[in-house]
Amino acid sequence: MGRIVGGLGSPHAPSIGALIDKGAWDDPDWKPLMDGYRPMQAWLARTKPDAAILVYNDHVTSFFFDLYPTFALSVAAEHAIADEGFGPRPLPPIPGNAEFAWHVAHSLVDDEFDITVCQDMPLDHGALTPASALWPDRSQGWPCPILPIAVNVLQFPVPSPRRLFRLGQALARAVESFGDDGFRVVVLGTGGLSHQLHGERFGYQNHPWDMEFLDLLENDPERLTSLRLQDYIDRGGAEGSEVIMWLAMRGALPAKVRRLHRNYHAPLHTGFAQVLFEVP
Amino acid sequence: MKSRQIDPDRLPPGTYLNTGEAASRGLAINRFCYDLKRPENRERYKADPDGEMERYGIDPVDRDLIRAKDWLALVKRGANVFVLLRLSLMHGDSLTATGAQMRGETVEEYLASRKIKAGASLTSKET
Repeated sequence: MGRIVGGLGSPHAPSIGALIDKGAWDDPDWKPLMDGYRPMQAWLARTKPDAAILVYNDHVTSFFFDLYPTFALSVAAEHAIADEGFGPRPLPPIPGNAEFAWHVAHSLVDDEFDITVCQDMPLDHGALTPASALWPDRSQGWPCPILPIAVNVLQFPVPSPRRLFRLGQALARAVESFGDDGFRVVVLGTGGLSHQLHGERFGYQNHPWDMEFLDLLENDPERLTSLRLQDYIDRGGAEGSEVIMWLAMRGALPAKVRRLHRNYHAPLHTGFAQVLFEVP
Repeated sequence: MKSRQIDPDRLPPGTYLNTGEAASRGLAINRFCYDLKRPENRERYKADPDGEMERYGIDPVDRDLIRAKDWLALVKRGANVFVLLRLSLMHGDSLTATGAQMRGETVEEYLASRKIKAGASLTSKET
């Protein structure tokens, strides 16, 4: 039986990836954000999960709007680093765990989450930013296989906040029914928090809402699932509504979690937050 | 269009969602921008922008807007910002510059409302 041992929330902005590739963890402007990764890195290095489920969105890199899946996962043994238009990042491919991924695919579909199964799904900044920030020591290769789950948050109809929470619950059932005894999994929710990157409303942020979101995520996530996408767009910006992906992470965890870490910094376009929940 | 999740007619001002008519109308320009992930497409576009836009069947109105670097108008006509950024970057406009233009501001005016300018370690292209 597998077990979920923790949930982590991380932004996925490409600027963070650029800082990492330059080794600029201590850039004064970004330090309050980059330092926020330290406790998460230490916890992951200590916990050594067997796999990480990474809930993210593809930024029209591996999928185009002509054929656009609502939910997709990759069962590949290895995930390629995508070229998003400026050349791929200098990262080695990220290992997957095909046996686990196929199991999750079966379990989700049995659970009426009819997810698209991909055998070749190169990863863009949506997945690479958090992965490279959380596992900075790749001297022995990537330390943790990743199961990427891509969610449509770009072309409407976008799945509802409640649907994402239920996806998390279904992921928990999938992990629990995995054959390997003692198989330990973490779930990563990525993106957000408040921001808008298009239209005259570009640059919109809402710090009080970001704080409220983080409080509710920890203590009363059901409240967040009762909001509509329109509420997320109104309060947190159109692109900020991608925070529904954090609800999948939270839905995979029990009602009571132990928060080990929380950080917030809004330097430029986006309100960035990091959280770490441990399953007691 | 009716949705239980969004009210397209009551979105915050300056918000243009990728749905319905906009998504259909934007398919050609979005496909053109999407394919700029391929190095050979970027090279072809640099060498012959008009020929490449012709090859992708870009609407003449959109072609003029691209030449004018009018990113806001393109978003209003259905271009998705994430693929459009591949194109705006090729035209020398970073995310910051693209966003400032959409707000109707100069880069300096926009950055005056932010905590930081870019971060010493990042080039203007990376923010």
